[in-house]
Amino acid sequence: MFVYKSLAHPELVGNYVQPFTLDERLTHARQAVKKLGATIPWIVDPMDNRLKHALGDRANSEYIIDPTGTIVRKRAWSDPVAVRRDLEDLVGQVAKVTKPEDLGLPVVLTTAEPATNVEVARVSRLGMFPLIAQPKIAQGGMPFYVKLRCEAELTVIDDGKGKLYLGFHLDPFYQVHWNNLSKPLRFEFEVPDEIRLSETSGEAPRVKAESDVNPREFLIDVAQWPEDKPIRLTVTYFACTENDCREVTQVYEVHRRRDADGGAAPGAAFRGLTSEAMLKLLLSGDKNDDGQLTRSELNSVQRPRFADFDINADGILDKNELQKLADRTNAQALRDF
Amino acid sequence: MRCVILLGLVLVFVSLPMEARSQGNQKKFDDFVKASPAVGDSLPELSVFTSDGKPFQTADLHGHYTVLTFGCLT
Repeated sequence: MFVYKSLAHPELVGNYVQPFTLDERLTHARQAVKKLGATIPWIVDPMDNRLKHALGDRANSEYIIDPTGTIVRKRAWSDPVAVRRDLEDLVGQVAKVTKPEDLGLPVVLTTAEPATNVEVARVSRLGMFPLIAQPKIAQGGMPFYVKLRCEAELTVIDDGKGKLYLGFHLDPFYQVHWNNLSKPLRFEFEVPDEIRLSETSGEAPRVKAESDVNPREFLIDVAQWPEDKPIRLTVTYFACTENDCREVTQVYEVHRRRDADGGAAPGAAFRGLTSEAMLKLLLSGDKNDDGQLTRSELNSVQRPRFADFDINADGILDKNELQKLADRTNAQALRDF
Repeated sequence: MRCVILLGLVLVFVSLPMEARSQGNQKKFDDFVKASPAVGDSLPELSVFTSDGKPFQTADLHGHYTVLTFGCLT
């Protein structure tokens, strides 16, 4: 049974962002079931992440429960080989061992490409961690077509001083885009006197292309932010489809607290990753220890990008290609994952 | 049962070996295994949902072996 939970890596592939509502999380789960062609049962953790919290708060943990409801195995990270071994111990061997490739499952996730290939300046988030940004969801109100991702340096979380990241990301499930002929996204903070920010409002820069789906990002300097004082943020934007644009105003309450369920977005929270460490991580998928990676040795998130990494197109990521990839240990390289 | 055995194999799409196998995580992994609920404890009884939005009780996971694997779209 698969337990669908909050995203571990929002924005990684397909520009998926953390859902705000149970309906949105259920949609995520159904999308995953459909994409994978899965036939096993799935359960979905409610929005308070109670099952994840109750079972140790890991992204990809695994438990085996016996017929009495007792935990008989647990591990922090799913390991299909170990699970098979466990089940053979617990219930016996199967006549035919089914391998992943026998299932013929489609494991390529959709990548949402910008409606138009335009350059929109991105903001560096290295070393930042997600903050709790509670959307004020009104009964019967419009969906959050655009979702705020709020991150901050640890100095903000610990001492109330440092850089604050605001990223307004289009939720790909709503299939809307920015219409750049409309007014750009605008946000405004309501800050009490005790809070000092470099800016209390902002407007996304104009983009030349008529439309795109890139996030609108801002970096704010925080000079003072008491821990017990949330900041109210109001954002106004136009969510557009091919035929329609609607003006949306929505409100968040941003807390100076780390969101332990926020996941790690690419380019964030990986500060200090050296080229050597990156190479080691890449080679952790090297099943036959030959110092090279084949397509099958990449995980399914990396696999769609195999051709980009395989510079000489020989079907193998050799030492030279892996080193080049590892050397790109900057925000863009991490985003590529 | 076969379906259950296949479970771990099917869901490797969320397995990111880059995190799973780094030495820095080993202690975290060991701590996780020791932490509550540990092997021998009962599965917490909680109300969750099926993928089509129907309520589902973890207490109903009785009578057979079940593999629970956590994961997400990305």
